[in-house]
Amino acid sequence: MNLKEKILADPEGKSLVNCFSCGMCTGGCPVARISDYNPRRIIHKVMLNMEPEDIWLCANCYTCEERCPTKTNVADLINLIRRITIKKDGMPEFIKPLVENLKTTGYTVQIGELENKRRERMNLPAVETTDEIKKIIQKTTLK
Amino acid sequence: MKKYAYYLGCTIPFRESNYDLSTRKVMDNLDVELVDLEGAGCCGLYYEQINELTHLAMSARVISMAESLGLDLMVLCNGCNGSLVKARNKLVENSELRDKVNEILADIDREFRGTSEIKHVIRILYEDIGIDEIKKTVKNPLNVKVAAHYGCHLLKPSEQIKFDDPREPKSLDELIEVTGAKSVDYFDKNLCCGGFVLGADKDIAYNMTGQKLQNVKDVGADLMITACPFCHVMYDANQRAIENELQKKFGIPVLHYPQLLGLAMGFNARDLALEQNRVRVNPGIFDS
Repeated sequence: MNLKEKILADPEGKSLVNCFSCGMCTGGCPVARISDYNPRRIIHKVMLNMEPEDIWLCANCYTCEERCPTKTNVADLINLIRRITIKKDGMPEFIKPLVENLKTTGYTVQIGELENKRRERMNLPAVETTDEIKKIIQKTTLK
Repeated sequence: MKKYAYYLGCTIPFRESNYDLSTRKVMDNLDVELVDLEGAGCCGLYYEQINELTHLAMSARVISMAESLGLDLMVLCNGCNGSLVKARNKLVENSELRDKVNEILADIDREFRGTSEIKHVIRILYEDIGIDEIKKTVKNPLNVKVAAHYGCHLLKPSEQIKFDDPREPKSLDELIEVTGAKSVDYFDKNLCCGGFVLGADKDIAYNMTGQKLQNVKDVGADLMITACPFCHVMYDANQRAIENELQKKFGIPVLHYPQLLGLAMGFNARDLALEQNRVRVNPGIFDS
């Protein structure tokens, strides 16, 4: 299956067919106004069976979905494109440390002694690490 | 007495504990009881882009902790709010998906049932407690001009979150004005802080944050108020770096909303850990 077929086969991807490329998403996009990033072009390229670019520049702010006159879930589609891309090509470098931290602490960051000492001085309860997230990640990524 | 399961997420205990402290102070003053969740971990937000099932299971795990206490879940972070609400909606609507997730949670002796609601602290203050009740606790009305920053996942996607109006929100403005402060309009008030693109492209993220700081400065606001720890990291902790990067000077103090409310309730700067805000806040500006 190509990218478009994979999107349409996913329950999250159904709204792709709503898009008529009007560009309302891009007109309101805070990233598009300061860079070459263009969500309209991402969706349009997928429909034309072309490889979309800049898929990691979406700020996930959902302004596009609020503006879209055809109820195309642009931001959710871009998340789906990211998931499909990761499955094929692996994770981009900047996400890897977050996942490593999740496995070792249960948080996206290395919460440890330093933070808990500060919290103790503030009379706040210590933050405990958990191995449950690691178990969830292992179980859900084996499939 | 109102009571909530209290969820911090990742950013708050790691670098924004002043948000945690000030929230506990104001909730105590409003007779709201908070129950800490031990080893609560991450809501799964980043897994929305990696693996849907992992995201749903991580969110369901956090929600199940509140469910086992029979309480609704109070969240302080917009990112957690969006991630948890979206996951909860999906799992409530789709029993097949719910069974799949519960099969994963069974391994860690947890179960998602869909009995607890997810509520952002701003929503709890605005809807569950209400402006009138909050007004009764204001002992020290503040005389400052404030720029409200709602952030994204407090309001959007609105079809999922169902709170306030994402185009013309008023909840945070009203919560600011009840403290005596003036909530000022500014250009692009509803724009995103850019925090989510920080990892992928620092220049874009810094430009987005810097643009808003400039807009806030242009209307002469004394300070900015956030409702999300990561927006706060962008505007406050990263403000100096953004000034250097963009060769501009902003000098805008940025407070978590409960810090502002706490000052109006009569707590002092130390009670609210204002000294931990990176851009120096001169407590004198709040005197009327």
